[in-house]
Formats: sequence, structure tokens, C-alpha cells
Amino acid sequence: MSEKPETMKHLDEMTCLLYIERQLDRARAMEVSGHTQECDACRTLMRALERESRLLTRAMLEEEEPLPGRLAQFQERARKSMHWIWGVVFGLAATGAYALYTTYIDPWMQQLEQAGFGGSNLLGLLMYQGLMWKGWQSLVTFLEVLAMLTLVGLGALIFRRRIRRGSALAVVFAGFCTLLALPAPAGATETRGGANPTVHSEETIKGDIYMSGERVRVEGTVEGDVFAAGKDIDIDGHVKGDVISAGRYLRIRGTVDGNIRSAGNTAIISGTLGKNILWFGDAVTVDTTGKVGGGVTMFGDTLAIDGHLGRDVLFFGNEVNLNGSVGGEVRQKGHMLIIGSGAQVDGPIHFEGDHPATVSASAKLASPVEFKQTEHRKPYRESGYYIWQVIWAAAYVLFGLVLFVLLPNFSSDAVRSAEQYAAAAGVGVLVGFGLPIAACIACITVVGLFIGLSTLFLWYGALYYGAVIIGALVGQWLMGRTSEQWPLIGHMAVGVVIVRLLTIIPHVGWVFKYGAALWGLGAISIAVYRRFQPMLAPSLPSAPYQSPMPPSSPVGGAVPL
Amino acid sequence: MNAPGTTEPTEAITRARAGDAEAWGELYREYAPPIFRFCRRALPTREDAEDATMEIFMKLKGKLGQYDMTRSFTAWLYKVAANHCWDTLRRRKIRQDKETEDLENVPLEHPDPNQLDRLIEERTSEEVRKALNKLGARARMALVMRYYSDMSYDEIADALGVRRAFVGVVLLRARHELRQALENTALAAGGAS
Repeated sequence: MSEKPETMKHLDEMTCLLYIERQLDRARAMEVSGHTQECDACRTLMRALERESRLLTRAMLEEEEPLPGRLAQFQERARKSMHWIWGVVFGLAATGAYALYTTYIDPWMQQLEQAGFGGSNLLGLLMYQGLMWKGWQSLVTFLEVLAMLTLVGLGALIFRRRIRRGSALAVVFAGFCTLLALPAPAGATETRGGANPTVHSEETIKGDIYMSGERVRVEGTVEGDVFAAGKDIDIDGHVKGDVISAGRYLRIRGTVDGNIRSAGNTAIISGTLGKNILWFGDAVTVDTTGKVGGGVTMFGDTLAIDGHLGRDVLFFGNEVNLNGSVGGEVRQKGHMLIIGSGAQVDGPIHFEGDHPATVSASAKLASPVEFKQTEHRKPYRESGYYIWQVIWAAAYVLFGLVLFVLLPNFSSDAVRSAEQYAAAAGVGVLVGFGLPIAACIACITVVGLFIGLSTLFLWYGALYYGAVIIGALVGQWLMGRTSEQWPLIGHMAVGVVIVRLLTIIPHVGWVFKYGAALWGLGAISIAVYRRFQPMLAPSLPSAPYQSPMPPSSPVGGAVPL
Repeated sequence: MNAPGTTEPTEAITRARAGDAEAWGELYREYAPPIFRFCRRALPTREDAEDATMEIFMKLKGKLGQYDMTRSFTAWLYKVAANHCWDTLRRRKIRQDKETEDLENVPLEHPDPNQLDRLIEERTSEEVRKALNKLGARARMALVMRYYSDMSYDEIADALGVRRAFVGVVLLRARHELRQALENTALAAGGAS
């Protein structure tokens, strides 16, 4: 071969590479080929590049590692696992649903119906009958809520494919909130604040009224509902709707045609109430002059009835004092029941407590008190405890099944996030304790009440979801990794059962219970955070797309240099 | 493009598309080893490669209906695998933006052919594999796609999301990185001895 003439330039490395990779067009390839006939250096470079290509291919193709056992068994195991996992999943889910309905929901609905709340409106009661947001009242029936959730789920499925990274969820959530906002009361709503907001005796409020202040007074007429927050709340006038309040004292000296739904320290009813009382707080007294058309459901310390109650009493707390008349039955779970001489109860009395009821001989009772001693045995020694554990495990599986079906990708992401053990646990502790505090702070302001309560609700649900996520992780440890939806659900079912088993270990079970919930909560938080992270931008500068070379040309295509 | 040591199992593919579990098993047994090796070369750890292999085959179940039977199944499968691995790397932010800044500045001078020849001559496959692990994600991915699964420049461009004209640049830069890693290894070995 001849030596390179002084004027002859060497080929650059890129051209040599494209030549050996057959990426040059025919004319350029001929040119390069001609050059290499005469230039030793370029020919040597091309040979070196070719050898480098062969070395790379050989190094990559060499099988220095056998196929891992996990992969070798993957297909078979995934298929086999489905046979029995699905039996477990559906069995537990069906058991859970049936047990929850027959043991909890049905008896409660009956009790609540007896107490005057109407069994078909359980969700309405749970939603506090519009305490925080009036629009619930038009949406509370079970079918409506179910239909709404179905729509939201469908919306999420549709939008999930179109919009990426959780923004779909935000859109759907925003739509959901808008939907909730639509049926808000169209009637006139008035708001009053200050130190002593008052509806004066000559006044008539046509719609609802929101009142907040140190001393809230209604002396006139309100044709809608009264929403009140304050230290002392006095209703001396006439409220044709409900009284929904939060405050230290609630005194009803006037007339309320609807219900009282309240949380506070003390309620004293010396006027007339058309319907029911639902009270979360310390004490309720129906005074001797007080008349309540419906019943009382109370979670608190003391209930005293000296006046007249039209229907039933359902009480969870410390003490009930009966000196007036009760038109329905009395059902109490607490410490003491005292029935005085002036008492008249037209229905049965069921009392579960530590001591038998104290009953005056002069009391007029339709039937003797049915007393059941509260048993304080260790739960581990009772068979019912274990049955309940099975029911709880089934309920968790059912809950997980629903969430993993509705949010498959998010659930999968959350399980992956849970594998970052330290980060998930740390974030879990932070969110687990920090979020409720933040939500409570939000609740203090009237504007943030809905947001605060929604956050608390989500936080509480996320604790259970977290346990399900950790269940899925445990299942993954035992049965191998999968990101496919249904096998993941199967793993979740197995893992949840194991986590539940760990939680019933005496003395240390609570560590597993709360640990799993917080760890899972952290994983969910990390997954949420990642969803809202911006995607990495494409790293190359944009340029017009070049059409690919025709596959038939062996050395075709434009030279990219 | 041909899979390393495989022929096209057309019948098994047809049956698998119809939902035959046995056919799935056949495809898995035949293609899991090369796909695992592909992932092993492209991803940083063995665990990542195992996970990715399983995920690719799970993804395949849903995608098999999209496969055009007139084209190479192996090539298509590698394309799915490459996209999955690159997505995985990109999600982890392993991809370095710095790489793109330097793309336009790849040296085009004539390297010393004899020195390059010697470097290649003295290196074993194992050393090359170790050096590959030290490369940036994009460089390694490009080399694996080109020299393991024999993907075309168009396919590499699609998978990496770059213009076709840049594929040669990416590959050349990857080779430079590899040579540097091999030299560093040799220097370290020399220093140690």
C-alpha cells in the first residue's frame, strides 16, 4: 500500500464507524472504500473498529450467568398461585361482606331505625346530615353515593389513559367536587358573626342561617336550618329546620321542628324538639318542661331525661338518669342506669354495664330491665375474638381488592415505594402525625372546615390503605415480584392475612398494626409525590424528523455529519 | 435481525395470541434467557434485570395482539424490551442531561489506530462487561441495542428518543467511554500490581 500523500486527509472516526456499520450512502461509501485502499492508517482504524464491534458483541452474548431461579419458575408459579389465591380472595371477601352486613350494619340500622333515624338513611347519619356541608342531604341515599362513585371510577379510568401522572386524578377529583357543589342549596342563606350574633324576636329568616360568635342567640323565626358555632348557643325562638351546632352549651328553650345534630359539652332541652337528638359530648338533659318528639342517640358521659321523649334512647357512655317518660325502648351500654320514681318507659330496657340498674319501685316500666354484665375477660381467650380477626382480615382484603381494581397503577407504585423502607417509614411517621394536626388547624377556620374534614377522612382511609399496601409487599416477599394487576391482588390478599396474624400477637401485635399502617401511609405519600413530579424533559435538542433509510439499500442513508 | 440462537416460533405465537397457556410457556422458556441477558447488560443490577424481565413478559401478554406476524418476532420483542429498560432508567433519573450537551462535541479527529488495536487486543470479554457497567445509562443502552440485539439505527433512535442522525454519535461516544473505562481498569490493575 502506498503512503499517504501530504495533501490527503485521514477519514474521521465517525465516518469509519458509519462505513463499517453500513450507514453511509452508496457514493460516500465508494469514496471511503477507495480511500482505505490507499491509506494504511484508515484501513487499520476500520479493522480496529470492526474488532471492537465483535469484541462487544461477544462480551455481551457470553452467558456468564444462568437464568435466575426466580425467572425460571416465574411462569409456572404465577399460574399455580392463581388457583388457590383466588379462592382465598373471593372467599375472604364474601365472608367479610356478609359478616360485616349481618353483624354490624344490619343490627345498627335496626337500632337506629328504632331510635328514630330511619334505617335507609344510615349514610345520611354518618355524613352528619349536612353538618359541614348542606349538599350531602340530597346525596345521602346509598344508591346515589354508589352511582356517583361508579361514575368517578369510570371517569378516572377514561382520563387515566389520556392524561398522565396523576393530573387525571386531580381533574376527576375537581370534577367530583364540582358535582358535589352543584346540588348546594339554592335558597337564601344568611351568615352572621361578631361577638353576639342574634336573630331578634321580630325577625324571620327565610332560609338557612350560619352563625358564629361567643354567644349565639335565636329569638326570632328561622324557616330553614341553623348552623351555629360558639361558646353559648341559645334557641329561644322558632327553628323550622334542624339545629346543627358545635359549642360549649346548647340551650333549647324555644321550638325546633327538626333535629339537633351537635357536638359540645352540654345540651339542655327545656323547650320543644320535633324530631331527634344526635349528640357527641358530655351531657344532655331533657328538662321537666322539655319535649322531644323523636329519640336520642348519644355518645358521651351523662344523659338525664326528666321531661318527655317520644321514641327510643340509644346511649353509649357512662350514666343514664331517667325521671321522665320515654315512648320507646332504652338501649344502653355504659356504667350506670338509674331509673327514678317519676320514670315511665313504654318499651323494653336493655342495659349492659358493670353494675345492675338502680330502679325505683315507683317507676312505671313496660318490662323489667334486661341487664347484661360487661365482661372484662382477656380477648385472646375468647373464640369470638378470632372470628372477628377473620372478619377484619376479610374486610381488609375486600377494601384492598376494591382499591387495587380502581387504582391499579397507583397501588403498584405504592407497593414499589414501600420497598424504600427507611424513606417510607419516615414519611409515614411524618404524615401520620403531621397531617391530622394540619387538618385540625384547617378546621379551625370556617373556610377550611370542609378541606380539613376531607383531609382527616382521607388520612384515616389512607391508614387502612397503607396496611393493605404493606400486605401486598409482604405477599411480594413471599411469592415473588409482580406488577400485573390480578396476581398483585392475590399477593396482597395473602400478605394482608399474614399482617393481620402478626397484629394479634399478644403485647407486640400493636407494633405491627400501627407500624404497617404508618409505613404504608408513607409509601402512599411517596407514590402521590412522584405522581405529581414533572417528567424529565427529552434531553436532546429538537430537530426535524428525518425519515428512515430505505431498508433495501445496504449502505444507504444520509450521513449525519 | 436475528435473536441470538433463536428461530421464529410462529406457531407458538399464534397459539399464545389465542390464549393458549402452554404456548405462553414455550415462548417464555425460549425467550426469557436472551431477554434476561439483554436486561442484565442494559440495567445496573441483577435484581433490576430480573424484575424487568418479568415485567416485559407480563407486558407482552397485553401487547402480543399488536405484533405484526409478517415481521420478525425477535426484533419486535427486543424493541419492547429496549423501550421498557429505557423507561425504567429514565424514571430513575439515571439518564444524565450532561450527555446531550456533549453530543455535538464528539471529537472527529483520527485516533491512533495502532493504540486502539492494542487496547482491543489485550482485553477480555469479562473486562469489557465490567467496563460496560461503568458507562452512562444512554451509552450502555445504545451499545446493548446495537451489538447485543442488532437493532437498526432507526429502532435505536426510536427507543432512545433521539434523531436518527445522532445514533452514530451516541454509539461513537459510547465507544469512547468504553475505551476510557478499559484504560482506567488497566491502569488500576497496573497500579495494584
